[in-house]
Amino acid sequence: MISCTEFIPAYSELFKFLEQKGGKAEVIRFWENLSDAFLNNLRELAAQKGLAGCFEYWSHTLSEEAADFKMMLDEENQVFTIEMRKCPSRGRLLERKDIEPYHVYCEHCDLLYRRVLEPLGFEYNIDLSNCDKAACKLVVRTNVRK
Amino acid sequence: MRILERKASDNQYLHKDFHGALCYAIKYLDETYGQEATSQYLQQVGRENFKPLIDELKQKGLIVLERHFKSIFGLESGEAKFKLENDQLTIEVSKCPAIAHLRSNGQLFTDRYCQTTVNINQAICDSAGYECSCDYIAGPGKCVQKFWKKENAK
Repeated sequence: MISCTEFIPAYSELFKFLEQKGGKAEVIRFWENLSDAFLNNLRELAAQKGLAGCFEYWSHTLSEEAADFKMMLDEENQVFTIEMRKCPSRGRLLERKDIEPYHVYCEHCDLLYRRVLEPLGFEYNIDLSNCDKAACKLVVRTNVRK
Repeated sequence: MRILERKASDNQYLHKDFHGALCYAIKYLDETYGQEATSQYLQQVGRENFKPLIDELKQKGLIVLERHFKSIFGLESGEAKFKLENDQLTIEVSKCPAIAHLRSNGQLFTDRYCQTTVNINQAICDSAGYECSCDYIAGPGKCVQKFWKKENAK
């Protein structure tokens, strides 16, 4: 085994390995499979509790990952937001000067979670423009237009 | 409005569900590309992600590996006996913390998960002039890992 604290570089290496095998399409195919098979916890919480389920899911994972973040659930306006000030995964990859991270590492978050939440009727937006600073912003809305 | 705000220093970095993600990756690689590809990937991880450990192992010897693995088993609440004598490090694992976590949470588990240990250890040792073995019983999370210097290593 490797420690779970050593996983993120191995994850990035997996994306590079898959791209060597068959281009970015192979990486995306893996992300799609991982989302379908591995994110049942988020899928069940969001289906049962709506945006409160999203809040519950990320409260647990981001705390265990020791992230620097602000998470907000506006129940009145049905908006869930994560302001990620320092992503622990991306941050660790940036700190490791001996490792070249997968070139679009942060895109896995977009695909994995979008693929869970959009079929459940949520509107999903993520701003990855500050990935180079290990920062991003996720906004999920209940997809009911007035 | 519910708000949760945390700094990195508020929590310990220990997200054990990552073991499940790696387990899933091994299953995926096995089924999509075959077991040889899985071994190639894990060896790539060993060579590329553990360069600092490899460099230290070259310089200071097996005490570095003993310290590295003791740290992991302590952090993740695993159980193992360590013996470093006669230029050989032996680690008898009676409770693999990764497998224990996967089992206790009902997460995906494949016996092939233990190839992580086999292939990553192999790649680290190859790169540093050492050899190793790993005899494992995957289900219960037990194994015996041995490390020693290559006879022809400088």
